[in-house]
Amino acid sequence: MKLHLLIPGKICLTFIFLITLLKTTNAQTIKGKVYDSTSGEPLTGASVQAEQGSFKQYTSVNLDGSYTFRNLKPGKYELKARFIGYKTTEGQEVELKENATLVVNLKMQNASTSLNEVKIKGQTSKESDGSARGIEKNASSIENVLSANTIQLLPDVTVANALQRVSGVTVQRSSSGEGRYAIIRGMDQRYNSTLVNGIKIPSPDPAFRFVPMDVFPSEMLERLEVIKALTPSMEGDAIGGVMNLVMKSAPDRFILSANVSGGFSSLFSSSRPFSAFSASPNKNSPAAMNGNSYAATYSDFNNKALTSDRNLSNPFSSTAGLTIGDRFFKNKLGVIVSASYQNIYRGSNSKELTPNAQPSAIPLPNSPQFSDAYDRTYSTQTERLGIHNKIDYVINDKNRLSLYNLYINQNEFESRLTSDTLGLGLNSTGLSKQITIFNRSTLTKQTIYNSTLHGEHVLSNNLRFNWNSVYSNATRHMPDRTEFSYDANKALNSSGVVTTEIDNNTNLTHHWENNKDQDFAGYGNFVYTPKIANRDVEFSLGGLYRHKNRDADYITYSLTGGKSTLFNGNFSNLPFGFNSTADGIGANNPDLQNNYTVKENDNSEYLQLKFDVVPKLQVIGGVRVENTYMTYATESPLTVTQRSGTISYTDVLPSIHLKYMLTDNQNLRASYFASISRPGFGEIVPYKVSGEYYDQEGNPLLKHITADNYDVRYELFPGGADQILLGSFFKKIHNPIEYFVVRDGGPSSQVIKPQNDEGDATNYGLEALVTKFFGVVGFSVNYTYTHSRITTNKLLYYNDPTLGLQQSFVNETRPLQGQANNVGNASVLFKSAKIGLDMQVAFVFTGERLAQVSPYYNLDFYQHAFNQLDFSFEKTLAKRVSFYGKINNLTNTANKIYLKFPHGSLDAKQQEFLGKQDIAAQTLVQSDYYKTLFLGGFRYKF
Amino acid sequence: MNKSIYIVLVAIAATFSGCKKWEGEHTDIYSYTPPAANPVSDKAPLTCSGGSTVVPVKGTMLSGKTYSVADGCDLVINANDTLLMQPGVTLNMGAGSSLIALGTLVSNGSKDQPNFITVAGVIENDMPGGVAPATDPAFAGKWKGIIGGPTCNLMVLRWTHVAYAGLTEGKATSTIAGSGIGNQYSILFANYKGNFVMEDSWLYGGVDDPIRISAGKIAIFRNTFEKNGVSGGDCINVKGGTVGTMAYNFFIGTATNGQKASNKGQATGAPQTNIVMYNNTFVSGGYRQVQSGRGGCINYEEGAAGMYYNNVAVNCKYGFRVVGSPVADVAHLSYGNNFQYADSLSVANQFYPTGYITQPQVTDIPSIKTSAKYLPANYTLGAIYDGSDVVQKNNPMFLNFPLPTSGHPLAQYSAVGTYNFRLQASSPLIGKGKTNIQPLIVVPLDKIYGLSEATAAGSDLGCYQLNGTGNQH
Repeated sequence: MKLHLLIPGKICLTFIFLITLLKTTNAQTIKGKVYDSTSGEPLTGASVQAEQGSFKQYTSVNLDGSYTFRNLKPGKYELKARFIGYKTTEGQEVELKENATLVVNLKMQNASTSLNEVKIKGQTSKESDGSARGIEKNASSIENVLSANTIQLLPDVTVANALQRVSGVTVQRSSSGEGRYAIIRGMDQRYNSTLVNGIKIPSPDPAFRFVPMDVFPSEMLERLEVIKALTPSMEGDAIGGVMNLVMKSAPDRFILSANVSGGFSSLFSSSRPFSAFSASPNKNSPAAMNGNSYAATYSDFNNKALTSDRNLSNPFSSTAGLTIGDRFFKNKLGVIVSASYQNIYRGSNSKELTPNAQPSAIPLPNSPQFSDAYDRTYSTQTERLGIHNKIDYVINDKNRLSLYNLYINQNEFESRLTSDTLGLGLNSTGLSKQITIFNRSTLTKQTIYNSTLHGEHVLSNNLRFNWNSVYSNATRHMPDRTEFSYDANKALNSSGVVTTEIDNNTNLTHHWENNKDQDFAGYGNFVYTPKIANRDVEFSLGGLYRHKNRDADYITYSLTGGKSTLFNGNFSNLPFGFNSTADGIGANNPDLQNNYTVKENDNSEYLQLKFDVVPKLQVIGGVRVENTYMTYATESPLTVTQRSGTISYTDVLPSIHLKYMLTDNQNLRASYFASISRPGFGEIVPYKVSGEYYDQEGNPLLKHITADNYDVRYELFPGGADQILLGSFFKKIHNPIEYFVVRDGGPSSQVIKPQNDEGDATNYGLEALVTKFFGVVGFSVNYTYTHSRITTNKLLYYNDPTLGLQQSFVNETRPLQGQANNVGNASVLFKSAKIGLDMQVAFVFTGERLAQVSPYYNLDFYQHAFNQLDFSFEKTLAKRVSFYGKINNLTNTANKIYLKFPHGSLDAKQQEFLGKQDIAAQTLVQSDYYKTLFLGGFRYKF
Repeated sequence: MNKSIYIVLVAIAATFSGCKKWEGEHTDIYSYTPPAANPVSDKAPLTCSGGSTVVPVKGTMLSGKTYSVADGCDLVINANDTLLMQPGVTLNMGAGSSLIALGTLVSNGSKDQPNFITVAGVIENDMPGGVAPATDPAFAGKWKGIIGGPTCNLMVLRWTHVAYAGLTEGKATSTIAGSGIGNQYSILFANYKGNFVMEDSWLYGGVDDPIRISAGKIAIFRNTFEKNGVSGGDCINVKGGTVGTMAYNFFIGTATNGQKASNKGQATGAPQTNIVMYNNTFVSGGYRQVQSGRGGCINYEEGAAGMYYNNVAVNCKYGFRVVGSPVADVAHLSYGNNFQYADSLSVANQFYPTGYITQPQVTDIPSIKTSAKYLPANYTLGAIYDGSDVVQKNNPMFLNFPLPTSGHPLAQYSAVGTYNFRLQASSPLIGKGKTNIQPLIVVPLDKIYGLSEATAAGSDLGCYQLNGTGNQH
C-alpha cells in the first residue's frame, strides 16, 4: 500500500521539479486571451499558433479564454488563432524579449453576420484592447447570450430546454416534460417572438404566432440570443423578449464534425412500457379526399393508429449530427451544411382532477368541484430532423451575398392512455364505479422552412445597404388522430372487489388538423455613418414588408359502437357507425366553423440614430412604425356574424437606449422602448377549440397589446468569461389579453374567451447574474425576481342567506399567467483541457407560478415550485474523438399543480377522489412525473 | 184522475215555455272581427334562399291552415316580433329545419283544435318493442326543434303536439339563435327574464334533453311526454336560473329523468333554480341512458331548491333522486307523499338510489316501515338495502296498463299507445295526496299570453285525478 503511494509521489515531485527547472531556465512567455470580436466571449478550445520561421508551436485556449506559451526563445513571433466558425486571425507580429512575459489578446471574427441589428463593424476589430467584452457589453441593447460552446456542453438537446439556462427565462413543458415555450421575465409565450438569424419565422401553431422552441435541435446553433430591449431597427412585436437563433455559418477552412449518441428514459420498463404505434395510412380526411358533400361511412376510416399499439419495455433514443463546411475560390465562397437528427423517447405519468364547469357554493363560496379524475400515461416519441445550409459569396470587398436555408421537421408520436372516473361524485358511488377508458394516438408533424437571401453592399465610404429577401413556411399536420373510449361500469361488493363489469358506450373519433403559415418578406436597411462634430454618428433607415398567408382546417368524425352493443375487449367486433348518416358528411361537420384563412400584410419603417453624446455615453434612439393589415375568413355560413373581417392598426414605437461606460469594464444602461404584441390568429378568428380545462373561442373584437418598457442594468466584466449583471425592469402593458368565461348557449358549455382587460397590467422585476471562473472550475448563478399584477373580473358563487345561491362578479388581482416570482439557475462547470474532461452540473429553479387562470375567484391553478437538476460531461478520448453524456432530471422532479383551497374543506364525496395530498392549505389537482433521461455518445471533430 | 192532472200540468208547462219563447228577445248586432294583421301565407313552403338559412316570420298563422318550412331553413321570429298560431294550425317542419324564437311565440291550440309542430308523413309505431330505438323515427331528429334565444320573452305551447325534433343545431342555426352548436334539444328556452309556458301539450320523440331550460320562468302543466331521448337526456332538464312549477305531467319511456332541476350555470343576475313539482307520473323511465347511475324520474342536484310531492314512479330504473355531490340545496328542498312501484327487485332496490342522499319520508308509498329488510333501522342515506319486500306491492291500478308487466322488458314501454293510465276507483293512489302544496307561479296568468290554468295540488297521487281534473289527455 505504502509503496503504491510512494511511487506516484516521487513522479509528482520530479515533475514539479522539472517544471520549476524549465521555468527558471527559459522564462520567456507569451500569454493572453482569445475572444469573439463581436460578443467578447472567450473562445475556449480555439487553437493559437506561435510561429518563428520554421518553428511552430500550438496551444489551446482555456475555459476562461486564456492561452499561454511558456519557455519560448526570445525573438519575433507571428501569432494566429483558429477556431471552428471563425475566421482565422491575420498573423500578428510580436517581439518577445528575454525574460519577458508578453500579453497578446486576440480577437476572432465570427464568420456569420447578425442581421437583426445593423452593425457597422468594419475591419477594425483586430485591435486587441485586452479587455474582455461580453456580447452583453457590446450589444446595442440589453440581451443575454448562450454560445455554441456553452450549448454543446449543456445537458439539453433542444433550444427550448437550453433557453431555461438563460437569465430570466423559464420554460413551459409539454405533457411529456419536454420544454416547449419560453416565458421571458414572467411574460408568457404570446409576448415573445422568435427569429432565425434575425429573421422572424412563422409558427406551425394552429392558433398562435409563437413558435414551439422544442422543434429546434440545439446543436445547430452558433449562438442563442435573448434580447430584452428592442431597438428601432428590430421588429416591435415583443414585450417579454426576442429569441434570436443564430445558426452556424460557413467557416474559413474545411471543417467536419459529427456526433452520435444513444440513451433511454428510466420511466419505461416492462411494467410501465412505452406504448408505440404506427401512423394511420389516412393522411387526409374523407372530406378532404372526396369533397365536403361526401357522406363518409365507417369503411372510410382506418384504425391502424390504435390497432398497431405495441409495448416497448425500454426504447432506445438516439441522436446524430453532422456538420461539414469549407471555403472555395480563394475564400470567396463559403459553404456549410449541418444536419441534426434526434429520435427521443420520453413520457410521463400524470394524475389530474378536472374542475366542473362551475364550483359549488356549499360548503364555502367557490368550493372546487371536480368532474373527472384522470389517470394518464403518456408515451412520446419525437423525431426531429434539422438541416441547414449557408452559402456566402464575397463578390468583392464592397459586395457580399449569402443564401441561408433552414429546414426543420418534427414528428411526434404521442400515445395517451387515460382512465377517467367520469361524473366524479355524481355518478360513481362506493359500490359502483364508472370509469371511462380512453386510448388516443396522435401524430403531430411540424415543419419549418426558411430561405433567406441576404446582400450587403458598401455604397460609399460612409453609406451601406443591406437587404434580405425571405420565404418561410411553417406547417403542422395532425393526420388522423384516433381515439377510442368506453365506459367500464363496475359493480363492487362491500369490500371493494369488482363483482361485475359491463363495458358500453363505445366511441371512436378520427380527427384531422392542418395548419400552414407562409411568409414572403423583404427587409432593407440603409446605414449612413458620417462624422458630425468629430464624432461617429450612425443613421439607420429601413423597413420591411411581409405578406403572410395562413390556412387552418379541422375535421372530427365521431362514431359510436352501437348503443346496445357491449364491448368485450374485441375492438374489431364493434359495429361502429355514425348516429345519423348526415353526421358523416363533411359539410355538416361542426369543426368546419374553425377552418380559417388569414392574410396579413405588415410593413414597418424605422429611423434609428446612434451616437456618443459624450465619449462614454452612447445613445441609440429612434422610432419605428408598425402597420398591420389583416383579413380573415372562415367557412361559417352567411348568417354568422363575424364570419369574416378586416383588422388594421398602426403603431408608432419610440425607443431610446443609453449606455454609459463607467470604466473600461463596466457599463450602466438605461432604456425605454414601446412595443406591441399581436393577438394569435385563433384568438381573433371566431373559432372554438378544446382547451385544457375549458373550451376556448375567438374574439374578432380583440385589440392588440401595447406596452411601455423600462430597463436599467449595471454590467461588470472583470475579465475572461466572468461577469456580473444587475438589472431591473418595469413594464406597463395596455389592453392585456386575458381569458374570461362566457356562456355559450347553455350552462354546461361555458367557454373562455380572450378579451382585453380594461385595466393595465404591470410587470417589474430584478435580474442578477454572476459568472466566475477559478482555473478549471467555474460557477454561474442567475436569479430573477418578477412581480406582475393584473386585476380582472371573476365569478363568485355563494350562498346568500336571503336570496339563496347567487353568482356575482368580484375583482381579483393576480400575477400574469406563467409568471413566477422567483426564477434562478445555478451551474458548476469543470473544464480541463489537460485531462480532456468537461463537466457541468446545472440546476434550474422556477418558483410557484400561475399555470392557468380560472374564471372563478380564487380557483386559479398554480404550478408548485419546480427544481430540476441536470448533469453533462464530455471527455476527450483521442485527438479528435470525445465521449459525452447528458442526464436530465436527476431527481425525478414532478410537475405539480395546486388550487389554493384547503383540501380538507371539500365535501366528503370529492375527498374520495383527491388522492395523496401534501399541503393543507391547498388542493393538489395534478401531478406529472417524467423520470430521468440519459443520453451518451461520441463526437468527432476535424 | 192523477193521469189527467199530469196531462194538464204538462200542457200548462208547454204553454208557458212556448210563451217564454214567443216573448223572447232577439238581437243581431254587427260585430267586427279584424282580420289577422299579418297572416302568414300558407300558399307555398316558407323558403330560405341566397345562401342564407333564415326565413323571418311574424304575424298570425290562421286556424285550420297548414304551413310548411322548407328543408334546412331556420324559421326565425325576430326579437320584438310575435308569431301567433291560432287553434288548429299545423306547421310542418322540413328536414333539418328549425323554429327560432328571438321574440314571442304563442301556439294557442285548444282541446278541440290542437296544433301540430312536426314533420309530415311519419308513422308512429307505439307497440312495445314494435321498433328498435335505432330505427324508430321518434329518435331520428328529423328537424332541429324550437329554439328560444336569449331575447325570447315569451314562449307558449298550448294544446300543441311537438314531435320528431332534436337534430344537432350546427353552426348556422346556433349562431342565429344564440344557442349551442351541439345542442340536440326539441325545445330550448334560455332567458331567465322570459316566460316559458307549456300546458296540455304533447312532446313525442327527441334526441338529447327534449326540453332544456337553460334559464327562465316556467310553468309546465298537464303535458304528455313519450319516447324522449335516444340514449341519454333528461326529458325536462332545467339549469341555473330557472324558477317555476311542473305539475300533472305524464312521462313514459324517458331516456333518463323525467324532470330534473339543477342550478348549474346560474348566470350573474339570475335567481337560484327553484322548482316545485307535484302530481307527476313517470312510467318506465331511465332505461335508454347508456351511462349508468343517471336517474329515471325526478332529480334535484347541484344547488337546486324546491319541493316535490304527490308524484308517482312506476318501474323507473331509479327512484326520486337527491344528489349529494354536487349537492342540491337540501336546506331548501322538501318532499313527501311520493309513490313508487316496482315489477322487479332491481327497481325496488333503487327506490332510494344507491349513493345519493334522498331522505325516505314517512308519507312515502310503499311505507318506509314495510319490513325489517326494507330500509332497516341502521339505514344510512344512499346505502344498499334489500327491496324484495316491496316488489310488486301497491299496484297503482291504472285503467289499462296491467301490472306487473309481461311480455316485454321494461325499457320497451316507451309510449302511451292504447294504454290508459287513468285510475281505477280502487287505486291506492287515491286520496293520498298532500293538497296544500302551493304552485310557484312566476309567469303571467292569461288565457293566451300566459298560463291559462294553474291546477292546484290534487288529492290523488300522480297526474290523473279520479274527479277528472289534472292531466286532460
